[in-house]
Amino acid sequence: MSYAKPSPENFPVKDAWKPLPLSHWNAETAAHLFRRMGYSANPARVKQALNGTVTKTIEGAFKPTSTLPKSAELAKYEREYFERSTQAARLKDSKERRLAQRDIRREGEHLFREYAVQWYRFARDEAHAPQEKFVTFLHDIFVVEQRKIREPFLLFNFEQTLREGIHLKYPELCKRVSREPSMIRYLDLNLSSAKKPNENFARELFELFILGEGNYTEDDIKEAARAFTGYRIKKRTEYTHIPRIHDKSEKSVFGKKGPWDGDDVIDLAFEQPAARTYLIQELMKFYLTDNELPHPDYIQALGDLWASNNYDLKFLIQTFFQSRLFFHPVYRGNLIKSPIQFYLGLCQDLRIDVTPFAGRTLHSMRTMGQNFYNPPNVRGWLYGQNWINATTISGRRQLVDYLFTPIDENNLNGNDQRTLKTALENNYANFQVSKDRLNTLLELEPEALADLLINYFITELSRENYRATLVMLLNKGNPKNYWNLRNTIIGLLQSPAYNLC
Amino acid sequence: MNPKLPPPLTRREFIRQSAGGGLGFLAFSSFAPAFLTRSAHAQNPGPERDRPILVIIQLGGGNDGLNTLIPFTDDNYFRLRPNLSIRDNIHPVEDHLALHPALGSFRNLLEDDNLSIIQNVGYPNPSRSHFRSTEIWETATDSDAYSNTGWLGRYLDNNCSGKPEDADPSAVHIGDIIPQSYLTDEPASIFGMRSSGSFKRRKSASEIAYETLLNEPHVEGSTSYLQQTMMNTLVTERRVEKYLAQYKTQVKYPPSNLGQSLKRIAALIHADMETRVYYVSQTGYDTHANQLNKHAQLLGDLANSMAAFQKDLKANKRDDQVLTMTFSEFGRRADENGSAGTDHGTAAPLFVMGRDVKGGVLGQRPDLNLDPKEDLQYTTDFRGIYNTVLDKWLQADAQQILGDKFDPVPFL
Repeated sequence: MSYAKPSPENFPVKDAWKPLPLSHWNAETAAHLFRRMGYSANPARVKQALNGTVTKTIEGAFKPTSTLPKSAELAKYEREYFERSTQAARLKDSKERRLAQRDIRREGEHLFREYAVQWYRFARDEAHAPQEKFVTFLHDIFVVEQRKIREPFLLFNFEQTLREGIHLKYPELCKRVSREPSMIRYLDLNLSSAKKPNENFARELFELFILGEGNYTEDDIKEAARAFTGYRIKKRTEYTHIPRIHDKSEKSVFGKKGPWDGDDVIDLAFEQPAARTYLIQELMKFYLTDNELPHPDYIQALGDLWASNNYDLKFLIQTFFQSRLFFHPVYRGNLIKSPIQFYLGLCQDLRIDVTPFAGRTLHSMRTMGQNFYNPPNVRGWLYGQNWINATTISGRRQLVDYLFTPIDENNLNGNDQRTLKTALENNYANFQVSKDRLNTLLELEPEALADLLINYFITELSRENYRATLVMLLNKGNPKNYWNLRNTIIGLLQSPAYNLC
Repeated sequence: MNPKLPPPLTRREFIRQSAGGGLGFLAFSSFAPAFLTRSAHAQNPGPERDRPILVIIQLGGGNDGLNTLIPFTDDNYFRLRPNLSIRDNIHPVEDHLALHPALGSFRNLLEDDNLSIIQNVGYPNPSRSHFRSTEIWETATDSDAYSNTGWLGRYLDNNCSGKPEDADPSAVHIGDIIPQSYLTDEPASIFGMRSSGSFKRRKSASEIAYETLLNEPHVEGSTSYLQQTMMNTLVTERRVEKYLAQYKTQVKYPPSNLGQSLKRIAALIHADMETRVYYVSQTGYDTHANQLNKHAQLLGDLANSMAAFQKDLKANKRDDQVLTMTFSEFGRRADENGSAGTDHGTAAPLFVMGRDVKGGVLGQRPDLNLDPKEDLQYTTDFRGIYNTVLDKWLQADAQQILGDKFDPVPFL
């Protein structure tokens, strides 16, 4: 199967961002929408969506849902953090001091891991998946690394700001991000003052948040750095502005002179033409394709629409996902799943829950190349083919094996045994594909079973090639045998086709 | 029934035997998926084995050159760095230059003429963006030009293409991400591995289902890329795990990522892998604040790891075959900032290590007669160093790979 790439001749730019006609709204297009907005296409949700329209489906997916709740332990740690760390620092005896500080740090690390698992469970819920996937998109723009910001509550609060940001105008979100304690520390804004401006934040604001490299000068950065002065963190937890260290004098940014402050600089950046297209290019890489679009006019057209709607993020989301370009056959089944999508998509497809063992989940994500809250650097992850190499492929394969292997309780360490016990007591027990579940499928004939598997797990692109092989594998040796079925499904979930969406 | 599929048990035995270097696999090749058969051919030693090898160490984040190779007689250095300049415990290498106190392990290498230091390396119109400047170094373009291929990728395109698909990988990197230096036009076999942990041999029979599906015809685009990578990975993984498990060395490497990565590279070189380029990263050099301790720790790890690696190569009699080179996307600003750190700058020194290097310090010292906001002016273009590496070491057509003539730097 191959389709011509869209070009202004065969796919006019003026039509690219119009909504998909109702005549094209069917099980395949709806499944494509669900796989890209979230992590998988649940047949029941697809069926339900077909009773409505594409527009309504997207509205439903991104309407404000419940937010990730802050655990009582994390809230308590946050409340007491300043006082506890101040007291620890005051201890006279150096050994005591070190031990007290270590305890605080270890508790923070523990809470961070709990938060990570809590997030995976939350995002795994199909009702939250589109919202949370968009949060990870924003995480990749506004990068903060846990390696540098160790306080789990700061990371939690930052993510909450990104989540709320979906319902804001993008410039407003940028301003809120500039006041986030974790960002202030991550990009050294807390070290910047009128006397000693630090350029780190100003540079990344232009390069990575708003304009992209090459769309500003070194002088713009130096001047903007002077505007972003006075940003400080009070009691190690809250943003505060200190007028005394803010540079109130005149700056010249993008050729405009004035006594600009940080918010003014953000507004000035959004007057630059590159602001219309930068975020959209990132959006395409995240949701649509590794390759550049065949013609820059497509991006420009969406950018102009977005700018005339005041950079409203919900407008961008709605326009993009319902567009004809988004549903173009060239952009279906072409995108390599991110590790998060691979993992949470597996959980959704297999109807199992996220593994309760934090260590296991985090290690698995790290091996696949997407360590929770720890991208490789300030640019974030690169997506697409960049996910795939020898190391990460092994990680993906090991994960699939794990989901089909019963937990051996005797092999767990004490911590994990306790975790498992608590999980089971809370009816949180379904994290492996059980023999019973697969056995119900064995009633089907191999041909029907192969059809079921390819339609459920992989996209149209590879179905034809895979079908005969699956029938052959299912027929092998002793057909209708549990192990045969299990191993065939594992092979399918590790195959190239399942790694695409 | 598809004739490609053998009886499972027998097939698995063949694969095991193949990984162990047996002949049985080849003899029954018509039963096995084609890509695994081809890999068996690659087990034969080829003429490639004695060729030179290049190891790249990336110092990620922008290494502070002035505190690496310290101009300890230059008043301007102390003027620009009232808090960050280093006077004590430095290791003089010339009348006016000394190595950072943490670089003690480099002294022996210098005495044996196994280390060259090239000063003040950079390029015209420097970018101060991490990503752009890294990209410039890795693609070896002018600072206003872009390339989809890396400089080593173009070397692989020119010199290593046409090898059997499943021969040893042409290039190996350590870490989760393929370096941009390796990006090629033609598909190349590039293998990535972690710096620690073991490769587990998968025992599950599901591997047969996976291999069979993997052998399905290619679809254009991402699927084909995935498929190729998965096939090559499967084959290489089996070989590499064997080499690493077999490797024994007397040399003690630092427990750091860098030390352990170099140890793994030594093992693969010792095993006669055909791989010509290795790439490893050490990160953390982006020292905007409180840089003194952090920088000392990084440089100490760098020098100790490199010295251990060279010692190990020598013990294995491979030191005549390996050249090791560091690079960093930029140096740092000459004047310190207000946070006891340094901001993004321009030129910096780099290190080249190997038995065949001339040794000592090369290139011109940076002029530090600067205003606080001014940057160092580079005196050696990094592409001149690449030129020498390609031309003198890898015996490749440097001008074709770099797209232009650059003055070679005489460290070889």
